[in-house]
Amino acid sequence: MNKTHQPYIDQGEGLFTRLYLEAFPATAAFISKRGGSLTQAKDIFQDALIIYYEQVYSGNTEIKLTEKAYLLGIAKNLWYARAKGPGQQEAFDSIDSLFIADIKEPDLSENKLMSFLETAGEKCMEMLKAFYYDKMSLSKISERFGFSGTRSATVQKYKCLEKVRDEVKERKLEYEDFTE
Amino acid sequence: MRTSLNEIEHIERHLSDRLPGEESLLMEARMCLDMELAQKVSLQEETYALVRQYGRKKLKAEIMLVEKKLFTSPGYAGFKQRILSLFG
Repeated sequence: MNKTHQPYIDQGEGLFTRLYLEAFPATAAFISKRGGSLTQAKDIFQDALIIYYEQVYSGNTEIKLTEKAYLLGIAKNLWYARAKGPGQQEAFDSIDSLFIADIKEPDLSENKLMSFLETAGEKCMEMLKAFYYDKMSLSKISERFGFSGTRSATVQKYKCLEKVRDEVKERKLEYEDFTE
Repeated sequence: MRTSLNEIEHIERHLSDRLPGEESLLMEARMCLDMELAQKVSLQEETYALVRQYGRKKLKAEIMLVEKKLFTSPGYAGFKQRILSLFG
């Protein structure tokens, strides 16, 4: 794996350590009281952190509650949604897409494609992630990925989108050939 | 930028509702007539979804490292104890 690019926002590990220390005990107490296990509490808290990150750090949602209250709120919702049964993923997936509303889920063999992209296209995936997922500014991306400026970063971003899109197309065709 | 990249940018603006009304309508009309363009739009949507999945996967890996640290490092033994006591 390429270690030269640290894709996470600067607070990175410190941010999550702080959030665990502040909000995990209350989440764990809530889940334990309702008969849940430590593993369930950990799983729910991990997903709550992802949702929190997407909404607040990369989604620019302004929250009026404390971080602890907000995270506990997400965790409670996840717990209740999962307690309902098969629709476990519902709560997680219903979080509005941060890219585009009503985005379609890929219908190709995602995992195979993902592992291919993680190796063959890692630099592009890291850059696209920095822009679309972490919502990093183009100037910061230029700095981090060594581009001469924002213009060059923009061009590279679209080149990467094209490269990945072509890959999706190719893999999809291969997959269709295979299944037909 | 070369033509294909301009097209990618245009598709991105279309998908994120950043095209002015008239251009957006024109794009919709073009997509009805040009199946290749329609396919590119659909593949680009899938690409964004894939980037989000990739982002989540990486983020989750980082979160799990933090969790592991809190449950194994002696510096956080008090925290670990406090949590374990809840599930005694």
